[in-house]
Amino acid sequence: MSETKNPLGLSSIPSVSSEGLVPVGRRTSLRSYLAALWNRRHFIIAESRAKMSSSTRKNLLGYGWLFLNPLLSVLAFWFIFGFILQSSRGIENFIGYLVIGVFFFQFTGKSMTGGTGAIRSGASMIKGFQFPRAALPISVVVRNFLDFIPSVVVMAILIAVIPPAEVITWRVALVIPVIILQTIFNVGLACFLARVGHKIPDLTNFMSIVSRFWLYGSGVFFSIEDRLGNHPTILAVMQFNPMHSYLTLTRNSLLYGVDSPTWMWVMGIAWAFGLLIVGFLFFWRGEESYGRS
Amino acid sequence: MADPELQEPNIIAENVQVRYTVNTNDPGNRAKGLRRIANAVSGRHGQTTVRALRGVNFVAREGEMVGIVGANGSGKSTFLRNVAGVEQPDRGRILVRFQPLLLGVSAALQPALSGSENVRLGCLAMGLSPEEATDAFDRVVELSALGAAIHRPMGTYSSGMGARLRFAIALAARPKILLIDEALSTGDATFAERSERAMDELLAEAGTVLLVNHAAKVIQELCTRAVWMHKGEILMNGPAEAVAEKYRWWAWNVAKGKEDIADKLLQDVVSNAVKEEINILEPELIRNPIPRHAARPVKETRKGARHMRQQREIEEVEETPAPMLAAAESQVWPKDFDAELPKAKFPSLPKPASQAVSAPRIHDEPPPLRLRPSRNRVVLRAANPDDRASSVAASDDFTGRRLASRARKIADERYEKRERIRQAESSSAAHEDSWR
Repeated sequence: MSETKNPLGLSSIPSVSSEGLVPVGRRTSLRSYLAALWNRRHFIIAESRAKMSSSTRKNLLGYGWLFLNPLLSVLAFWFIFGFILQSSRGIENFIGYLVIGVFFFQFTGKSMTGGTGAIRSGASMIKGFQFPRAALPISVVVRNFLDFIPSVVVMAILIAVIPPAEVITWRVALVIPVIILQTIFNVGLACFLARVGHKIPDLTNFMSIVSRFWLYGSGVFFSIEDRLGNHPTILAVMQFNPMHSYLTLTRNSLLYGVDSPTWMWVMGIAWAFGLLIVGFLFFWRGEESYGRS
Repeated sequence: MADPELQEPNIIAENVQVRYTVNTNDPGNRAKGLRRIANAVSGRHGQTTVRALRGVNFVAREGEMVGIVGANGSGKSTFLRNVAGVEQPDRGRILVRFQPLLLGVSAALQPALSGSENVRLGCLAMGLSPEEATDAFDRVVELSALGAAIHRPMGTYSSGMGARLRFAIALAARPKILLIDEALSTGDATFAERSERAMDELLAEAGTVLLVNHAAKVIQELCTRAVWMHKGEILMNGPAEAVAEKYRWWAWNVAKGKEDIADKLLQDVVSNAVKEEINILEPELIRNPIPRHAARPVKETRKGARHMRQQREIEEVEETPAPMLAAAESQVWPKDFDAELPKAKFPSLPKPASQAVSAPRIHDEPPPLRLRPSRNRVVLRAANPDDRASSVAASDDFTGRRLASRARKIADERYEKRERIRQAESSSAAHEDSWR
């Protein structure tokens, strides 16, 4: 690589052939990005289980918190809203109503806050290894999904045990597509927020407020149809909220055994796949920027 | 080793420039006016732009181990991060043959998890399949030599232990390009020995190692070539002995506070420094000399059979008889002239080579980077399974074994050579001691 002299005695610039060499760290096409992501599926699962066990291992009760945490929050919400504020007026089987709302909302809420900080918490993995960065927000959702499964079991037991008996119909099976739709929605949300949160670190502060507002706006412990009956525009806006759709779909099929309106299903599907595409593409476009902090 | 110029390049960096905009506490750098108020609200003081790399040209070839020396803040780590693809340079580009693996100072991956869980997670992150990760596990544990500590949480490791495990994990995927940023300097003597052996093997298999280390002696011993970086530029590039020696002399003078000598040395090096330039030959241009923008398909308004398109259509221009022109009263352009002027017609050009039917399809995208060439070996096999030759080929892959044994031989040679040098040094040191 030292200065080479040609026969005329002039120094010439050394030439190297770039045959077989590829720019490093570049965003690949969507097709190969998805292929690379599929190749790392084991990594995504391992990463999400690692996050799960590292958070539970610090506690004395360990995995017990997966059941205890939602249980206690249901108790707290029931005490405030069902007992003191009496927001249960007009809602039959209020405990079941509340349990479904709290558990299903927690799944999305945790995916939202986790997704916002996904790039920051995965900084050491990003610096150390080259993998499609979308693995990080996806592993956040997978981790929360793994958390969610035991709480669904708790939920089923609670609903079955606590007095007002449910109407058990074939519609119970409809819970599964609702959970799938919500998980897809969460993946899109986590991907979208991961890039935004990386660009604007202040968002983590903001997210807890947004999450709370969303919780109240989704009708977790009161029925927005009853409360906002005389504000049709606000009601329409609230009903546009995907979480409201997912919660109502679950309650209708699990608790009340009635058919849900079609527009709700359409809205749930549109939100899930729409946000998945938008969020994933948005995240993928920023692929090269996540290494810089 | 063969002439380094003849070896294939593994890393090419061309005019790499990186700048960071960072917050500063410098009172001389206060913003003025409105921005100052905004900074006061947000608790910031001001921002400056740091040029971390100012146009680095660099080539590393197969079987090379390049040491990078330089003072703190000279851009060594930034350069390695860019080569690894963690960050993208603001200007210039970096080309690599394989995906480089960066070993940084921050060792712990998931501090709450045990070492063995980190091994598995790291292996999967590098793209190994679960089976490969299980196979690699024993090798990793052996190379890291952590013993029972492998089952403890990684957060409880000392920095040296963490570095050992990180290094062992990185080598589990057998990468071809390894970038080591101070990661080995915390290891003890036995680990230094093991890691050197491991790197010898990597180099013998036509890999490349870039090593950042502050101990110039380590660079001298291990590297084939060294680069001295200073303030984001490469000052010197040459044999490891010479570069490391110069750097050591400069650093020693700086450390002793002999600024004038250090400045003079630096001045000397700077004046001798040649801004290295490289000329990258693009394989695409050789294959497809027509630039892509010219080969872009032109929107066709009318579609016809190919033999029909070759026909030139000549529009008949109506000729005006001369007497009529003469009769015209004035030669000015008539105001209400809206006859369509004949448009120029160009013959359709032959298709560019890139669009020819027989030409190989040009992929816009290169194949994805891997840590090492894929495992798919070419095994020659006879059509008849009873054939003796084929059974031999199937039972054992001789070519692979021969290549591996050759690589091991090269690694052993490097190791022995280094040992000889070390022994010579220690014996001469002992000799000096006995003289005193």
